[in-house]
Amino acid sequence: MSAFRSDKEMNMTEKSNSLCLAASLACVLSVLAITPVQAQDMEKCYGVATAGKNDCAAGPGTTCAGTSKVDYQGNAWKYVPKGTCTSMELPAQGDGAPRQGSLEPLTRDVPA
Amino acid sequence: MSPHSDILSVFRNALNGGGLPPDLVLGAADEAARRLAVYQNNVAHSLIEALAARFPVIRRLVGSDFFAALARCYIEADGPRSPVLAEWGESFAEFLSTFPPLASYPYMADVARIEFARGRAFHAADALPIDPAWFSAQDPWSARLDLHPSVHVLRLEHPAVSIWERNQPGGEQVTLPAGGEIALILRDRSFDVPVRAISPGDAALIEALREGDSLGSAAGRARSAEPDHDPRDILIHLMRQGALITPEQT
Repeated sequence: MSAFRSDKEMNMTEKSNSLCLAASLACVLSVLAITPVQAQDMEKCYGVATAGKNDCAAGPGTTCAGTSKVDYQGNAWKYVPKGTCTSMELPAQGDGAPRQGSLEPLTRDVPA
Repeated sequence: MSPHSDILSVFRNALNGGGLPPDLVLGAADEAARRLAVYQNNVAHSLIEALAARFPVIRRLVGSDFFAALARCYIEADGPRSPVLAEWGESFAEFLSTFPPLASYPYMADVARIEFARGRAFHAADALPIDPAWFSAQDPWSARLDLHPSVHVLRLEHPAVSIWERNQPGGEQVTLPAGGEIALILRDRSFDVPVRAISPGDAALIEALREGDSLGSAAGRARSAEPDHDPRDILIHLMRQGALITPEQT
């Protein structure tokens, strides 16, 4: 008798558990329906990657990604969200000239 | 005169440590041997560098001298079988776990598993993420989601995700959790391959979705693995990373 009762209790627990789960899934789905995928539009931005963090294109003889030698190397690019390349804030160059990212390769900060 | 393919295979054998047969050499044999050594060294060095590029945390953990010696042993045990070096290294974790000098560092193999999976994820096929609007037409219980081909879940015996993290540039000296960790590895929309530790429920949910379970069934399996598991955070995380795709794509 007591075994029967505990079975029944278990069933009730399972049932309420799965009701809870269904409600929580419905809630998750409604959140997912308004969750944007991050960083959908990317563009290549030269001169903004820190050393070793470029996505590709450093000097001749390198094997590309992760090979830039100096910070903000002008001929190395990194994928950045579209529209942010030229406006992101970078520290000024050694001579005080401002540093800016570019959609085209740059000649500044290129190791010898 | 031997056919060209024979010459190539003799030369390949010589590059991997065998000697050049004298009948293949014009001129002085000792000079040929010195020149061959240059080739052998270049091949070994480039393979060591390729392996280090694939397993940077392992190199950092053991140091570059040890790594170079270790890599030479690995090249001998299981060198690349394809010219595509990105495919090389699958057995490296297993090799580390049986490499006697590393016997007292059993977590190395798990770190290598993470690093190899990151390479796999980086080179995985593309797939378009689900359009958020798709969800509004779905029944929450029976909806079927699939995962981006780059998504990997690794169940590790050691806290290797934390070890990997603290050996990244700027990584902080966090206290290592006791016991194993489960790693979630994927390629995000900006072509980074982050690694994060996930809970047993999260892992069960991802594995169930990958096996084709409906969302309701996957969430149920997650609860069996971890009572009171809430699928919300992991699903939102996967969605943000562009890792949820519709099943028709696969």
